[in-house]
This record gives sequence, C-alpha cells and structure tokens, in this order.
Amino acid sequence: MKDLKHLYYLENLLQDANNNLVREAQAGGRLAVGSVCSLIPEVLLSLPGCFPVRLRAPNTGSIDLGTYYMTSMSCECCRALLERAVEGGYKFLDCIIAPDACAQMNRCVENIDLLKLCDKEKFFISYSDVPMKSDETALRHYVKQMRIRVLEQLSGVYGVDVSDAALRAAVLGHNEACRLITAIGEYRKEDNPRITGYEFAVLCTATYCCPKDLLVDKLRETLDELGSRQPDSGKNFRARVVVAGSEIDNPDLIRLIEGSGALVVADRFCFGSLPGRQEIVLNDGEDVLLQICRQYLAWGKCARFMDTAKIEERQSYIDELAKSYHADGIIFEQQKFCDYWGYERALGSRVMRDDYGYPVLSVDLPYAVGTNAQLRTRVQAFVESIEIKNIQGKVTR
Amino acid sequence: MKYYGGCDAGSTYTKCAIVDETGKLVASVTSRSRINPVLSAQAALDEAVATLDDLKGAKDLAYLIGTGYGRNKVPFADENISEISCHAMGVHVVDPSVKSILDIGGQDVKGIAIDADGTVLNFAMNDKCSAGTGRFFEAMAHAFEMPLDEFSKLSLKAKNVIPITAQCTVFAESEVISLVGEGKPMDEIAAGIQLSVAKRCFVMAKKAAATDSIALTGGCAKNHGLKQAIERVLKIKVVDLPVDPQLMGALGAAEYARQKGLASAKA
Repeated sequence: MKDLKHLYYLENLLQDANNNLVREAQAGGRLAVGSVCSLIPEVLLSLPGCFPVRLRAPNTGSIDLGTYYMTSMSCECCRALLERAVEGGYKFLDCIIAPDACAQMNRCVENIDLLKLCDKEKFFISYSDVPMKSDETALRHYVKQMRIRVLEQLSGVYGVDVSDAALRAAVLGHNEACRLITAIGEYRKEDNPRITGYEFAVLCTATYCCPKDLLVDKLRETLDELGSRQPDSGKNFRARVVVAGSEIDNPDLIRLIEGSGALVVADRFCFGSLPGRQEIVLNDGEDVLLQICRQYLAWGKCARFMDTAKIEERQSYIDELAKSYHADGIIFEQQKFCDYWGYERALGSRVMRDDYGYPVLSVDLPYAVGTNAQLRTRVQAFVESIEIKNIQGKVTR
Repeated sequence: MKYYGGCDAGSTYTKCAIVDETGKLVASVTSRSRINPVLSAQAALDEAVATLDDLKGAKDLAYLIGTGYGRNKVPFADENISEISCHAMGVHVVDPSVKSILDIGGQDVKGIAIDADGTVLNFAMNDKCSAGTGRFFEAMAHAFEMPLDEFSKLSLKAKNVIPITAQCTVFAESEVISLVGEGKPMDEIAAGIQLSVAKRCFVMAKKAAATDSIALTGGCAKNHGLKQAIERVLKIKVVDLPVDPQLMGALGAAEYARQKGLASAKA
C-alpha cells in the first residue's frame, strides 16, 4: 500500500517526548501535564490551558541509570522512564499527575521528585489513590481523589479553570480525537484491512503524547484518505492477532510482530485504543466529574482491578475483540517484571487457550525491543502453528 | 528427479539438507557460520548441491526454504519458516514416535511439543542468556583447553559431581578455572557443568510436555555428557535419532520445501 500521507510526520513526533506539537502548545502558554497511567482520566488533564503527555522513552538503549535507582527486578518500562528523566528528557513538564496504582511506577515518579529531575519553578507531582474495584464505593472514592489530587492541584498551583463548563469543553475535544481514532480503527475489521496495525499504532500512540487539538486535523485527513485507500491485492499477512497486555508505547514492536506474519487487528494494551479511545457520554443532570469517573471505572481493563468480575470481564473482552476483529489468535504480553500483568498473563494465557479455544502466544518483553531476532522467531512459529492448524481445521472454537 | 532444499542458517553453524521427491535425504552439509548469513548459506548450499550431478546450483532446487536466525537471508529461498516448526518436522520425518524435543542450539534452548503430523503443538524458548547453550559449552571446552568433542565425553567417567554455581557463561568459566586451579578432578567439574545445563533444560522439557522420552536436536545433542545428565535430571529417556540431530532444522525445512513444492506443482 502507498504510505499514509501523514505517517512520516507522526512517526517523527514519536521520536521525542518533547516533540514539535508539545513545544508548539507550550509556546502558546499551555501547561504540559505528565501522565503515566490511564487510571488518571486524560480528559481531566485536557482542561483549557492544559494538555496531557503520556510519558514514553523513545530510542531507549541501556537502562543502567534507571536500574541504579530502582534495582534490576523492577519493571523495565518504569526504569526506562526514570532513565529518560535522569537524562533530562522530561524537563519541559509543568507537573506530573500519577495514580497510586503500581508501586514500581510510583518509585519511578518518586525518584523524579527526589532527584529534582524536573525543575520548573512551579513544577509539582501529585499522587492519587485509585480504586481496585469498580463498585459504587470505589466510584465515590475515585471522584474524591480526582477532585482533590488532580483538579484542585491544577487549579491551586496554576489557576486552571476546573468548572463543569471547562470539563465539558475538555470532553468535547477529547471525544473528537477518540471518534476519529475509533473510526480509523474500524477499518481493521476488514478482511484485507486498508490500514496495518503498525500504522494504527503510530496514530493512536501520537494521541497519547501530543496535544490532541493540534493533531485532529491530521487524524481527520487520515480518515478521509483511508476512505479511498486500496489495500494491496494480495494479503500481506498470514494470521490476524489481538495483542493484549501491558505497556506497548513503541509502534516498532507492532511492526516487528507484523513483519513476522501476524497482522495486529486489535490493541488491548496500555497505549492502545481498546479501551482507551471511546467517547465520553455526558448527560445534563449529573455532576460532570462523577460521570467521567464512572465511565473510566466501567471501561477499565487494567490488571490492577482484581475482583473476579473484572478479571472475567477482561477475558471475555479479549474474546469479543477476537470475534469482532476476526482474529486467529492472541498474543498475551507483559513488560518484564510488571507485577500486575505478570499474573494476568499467566492466568489469561491459559484461560484464553483452554477455556476459549484460541491459539495463544505468551511473551514477556523488554522495554526496548530493537530488532529482537528471538521475538521474531517466536511470533513466526506462532503464526505457522495457527496457519497449519487452520488449514487442518483443528481450531476447536 | 526434482530436489528440495532446506537451509538452516544458525548463529553458530549453517546446515543444509537436500531431499528428493520421495523425501529421502540425498545431501547434507554442516559448516561454521560466518558473520554474514548470506555468505554462510551460499557456501553451505553450494557444497551440498555439488554432491548431486543433476544440479548445477541452488537455484536448480525445485523449492528451497530458509530457517534459523538467518532464515530470511538464504539466497534463492522461496520462503522461510521458523526453526521451531522445522525442528519439529525434521524429527517427525526421522522418527514419528517422538513427541517432545529439546533443541539446544548455539545461543538458545527451545522445548517443542510435536503433533501427530509433525506440526508444532506448543513451544517454549529460553533466549535471555547464552548459559546452557552451544556457546556455553564452547567456552567451557576452551577453559579446559580441549576440543568440544573430547569435553563432551569427559564427564562420562566421573564418580562425583562438583556443582557449578555461576549462572553466567563468563562467571562459570572463571569458576571452572578456579576449581581446576584448586586441583579438583577435571571429569567431576565437567559433570557439574553438564548437570547445570541439564537443570536449565528441565523447564523447557516440561513445557514441551515430555513425559517418558524426549529427543535432543541442535549441535548440543551430540554432547554425550549432556545427554547422560539430562536423562539423570529429567528421569526420562533421551531418544537416539537415526540422522545427525544437528541437521533436524535443515531437514525439516527440506521436508516442508518438498511438501510445498509438490503441492504447487499439482496446482
């Protein structure tokens, strides 16, 4: 297929946390709010005068500096983010708002704080306690935390307007980007999709680390372009897969998987769109913050939600994705040493294979993937086993 | 007569196998890999093809499949297949009764469960570290100042086992040098080395669903001491394959080439 018009531009944006659009927004007087987890609703960080930047560490090589502060037994993603912070990669941030969700990410953010790696005059870090269940009690707690740990902090330190009207405006902008990403992602359901998983990952990842309002024109044009884009006549893949698991903020990993024959049709991972890029629906009667928090809790597919209902919901959600995106198999992944997804991967891989009948490849990943010949071999062998089993009609579901 | 080829461009050795239309192995070559997999594969293919009067070059093969880490660099290859699938098929071709494999190659270890038709049922891979692979044994043989083949037999006569505690190839080499310096018996140190690798294979063998028997493939399958240690640690029989176990990847690739070549000729 011919390259998407804006692909190269978007790929370049992903080469640096402090990219051109971030700089443009800050030059216009807006605040860059660092974010490390989807449990802090992005839309709360998108209030007028603010924009969220989900932290990444593009082009990571060694993570020795991060390892010195966090030990070699902690999540590589957290170590890589700290490494980047030590290198000075996040000095542009005006604040970081982190959930008290994962102890390893907390250590990363805590080290950024203790080492004074972001040194703007009014820079602050705020931690919020976020629930591990999604019932009414949890919701009340969540709303309170978001109010005092996010909205009051932004308002108190920087005078950000956190009124209902401001929240509604933020939701409108957020929804526009989500609507475009969702519409683009729908093309992945086609028999011979007109967009690859890699291209989609570039688009989707960009929405997490750039001011969305500065990106929507490019997304809109891409959606229009896709409307008439012709896929190659022959299929360039041998199997379709759902990728499920923890942090994947590097589209090159998706490219590596696709280079081994598996088209990534659904992205159920941190930085993915399923969930993550749904529109927030607001009514006129209820408190806006309550409505936002309720929807985030309901969508939440983080492995940190440990009640049985949520665990089973995550598994059935992967099944739904596999069916609606016509996937032949599932790649279950986790960042090496990720506590939550380590458990989830062990359980989920077995359940999706034994109870749901899908071929499953289970892998733990380093943060920096590089060319990783071993991972290529694993994925290719997985694709070959799916291919052969499909030919022989041995898939049991 | 048509011929079909498989070329396993491995990290340490490049292997080439050629089969005829009936699936009979008619030529094979094993040679040390060079830094450039294209040159390694080309040389192995040329050498194998030269043994067959009907062929002038690799491009005369009716179908050629590349496998191994350099699989997408094999010249004239019609396609490439992962070494996991190829080892399974290679072993299935020479002994269909085998259901579990430990492939101990130059830089990784794989446990593979084989289905009744030679396809992969399940697999697991240890690729995080070279300890317990061919590179590890090469380093150990170097420390012992003896050829690999001689080292592989050294532990067979050991009456005791001196445990090796280091998990890293470099540190294990230092430990071995210290033990030799202390005057410990060489055969008992070698037995400790074989035991440590056998233990590393335990998890892979379990993931390959090995119960009562398993086949070893890859260059380390020729290590007699390792075979004995695996039988001891895993408490299962290691099946002796009737064809060079190091060739299994290339042979499996050649068999896939034969199947695909015949299928496309029919179509």
